[in-house]
Amino acid sequence: MDRIFDRRIVFVGGKGGVGKTTSAGALALMAAESGRSTLIVSTDPAHSLGDVFDKRIGNQETSLAPNLSGLEIDPEAEAEQHIETVKMSMKSLVAPKMYREIDRQLDLARHSPGTMEAALLERMADLMADARSRFDLLIFDTAPSGHTIRLLSLPEVLGAWSDGMLGHRDRSRKLGDLLEVFGRDHSREDEFGMIGGSKEKPDDSRDGRIRDILLTRRRKFHRARELLTDPAVTAFLLVINAERLPILESMKTLDLLKKFNIPVTGMIVNRLLPPDADGEFLRERRLQENEYRAEIDQTFAELRRVYLHLLPHDVHGVETLREIGRKIVQQLGDVSGAV
Amino acid sequence: MTWADIKKKLSWLSYLATEAYNAPYRGAVARAKRDEDDLFMLLIFSEMMGVPNPATYYTLELQPIMLERFHEWHKRAGMEHSPLDGFRCC
Repeated sequence: MDRIFDRRIVFVGGKGGVGKTTSAGALALMAAESGRSTLIVSTDPAHSLGDVFDKRIGNQETSLAPNLSGLEIDPEAEAEQHIETVKMSMKSLVAPKMYREIDRQLDLARHSPGTMEAALLERMADLMADARSRFDLLIFDTAPSGHTIRLLSLPEVLGAWSDGMLGHRDRSRKLGDLLEVFGRDHSREDEFGMIGGSKEKPDDSRDGRIRDILLTRRRKFHRARELLTDPAVTAFLLVINAERLPILESMKTLDLLKKFNIPVTGMIVNRLLPPDADGEFLRERRLQENEYRAEIDQTFAELRRVYLHLLPHDVHGVETLREIGRKIVQQLGDVSGAV
Repeated sequence: MTWADIKKKLSWLSYLATEAYNAPYRGAVARAKRDEDDLFMLLIFSEMMGVPNPATYYTLELQPIMLERFHEWHKRAGMEHSPLDGFRCC
């Protein structure tokens, strides 16, 4: 169970600009070429997955290579859709003169903090649950660390929230049942027809609908959480550069991921100076880099590490990605299938 | 008066006795249930009242269902119209 491609879900994360998308893309390509049907999903609101593959992707699954599809989640479109649904069901309940009020109110909700994240998480949870039947491997190219941590902690927070809400509903239902006991005696009602007819009938359809919605939510969050924290299913790869700030940030990220029990398996140390690059300036930089590299090896000793050198050109297109992917896979000792 | 009539009268008396005992409890339980439901509704509309809510996105879809209840609540609380600026049900 040590091989990364044997997992079902791989997250690639790290500070902004360290090369997450490239690493994720290269990994995805390798997985696809080893015969696993793979979906790579970008969750960064500023998508660059399409640029790396030199293809337009967008908010639907797009084929990038044989066995490989890509998707750039558009949280805005997701939120829009969600809010439209709510609007429709609200409008079916109120007088038409209230429509403007509803539009205004819900348009505000669309811009309230958290809406985008919730929409994004919703889509990710759906993908995690449903892509498993269509793909062997799901790779998430995540947004910079802070955002991702918050996102991954949401299932726990929201799970607790829906538990709490369901608790309220349960208490209300129990009181309702008790009311039934104190209510009219049904055997007598048959005899006299109208005795004790004052008891309010609980609105079953409304209570049932609320329960259904909350239960669906809870099931989804708990399922996402289960998948996220299962080391046999999920792996998290951190991408880092041999520089001060990415090291500091990765330490924090690692701590937080551990706190949420998300299994971090490996680290890609990206953009190292190539050994054959020369000149006084680069010599100085290399001295500094070696220090940071030693620090990385010490701090992140528990993680499997992969080292990649800075390339002389930008990464776009399948050719370059394959080149990078081979290096990653070789170092991971993950050479399985047709690589 | 036939035997059946007496039986009917007796069962009516028994019903009254049961009700005399049950009615106060029924009232208390009904109030408790109503309070519980009000609390739930306020949680759903919490964001509008300035209470931060980690799950606004998800409470949103419950709001239509609670609309009617919200109306009952503000009537009961002695407010003729919805107290929320951005949310008017009547």
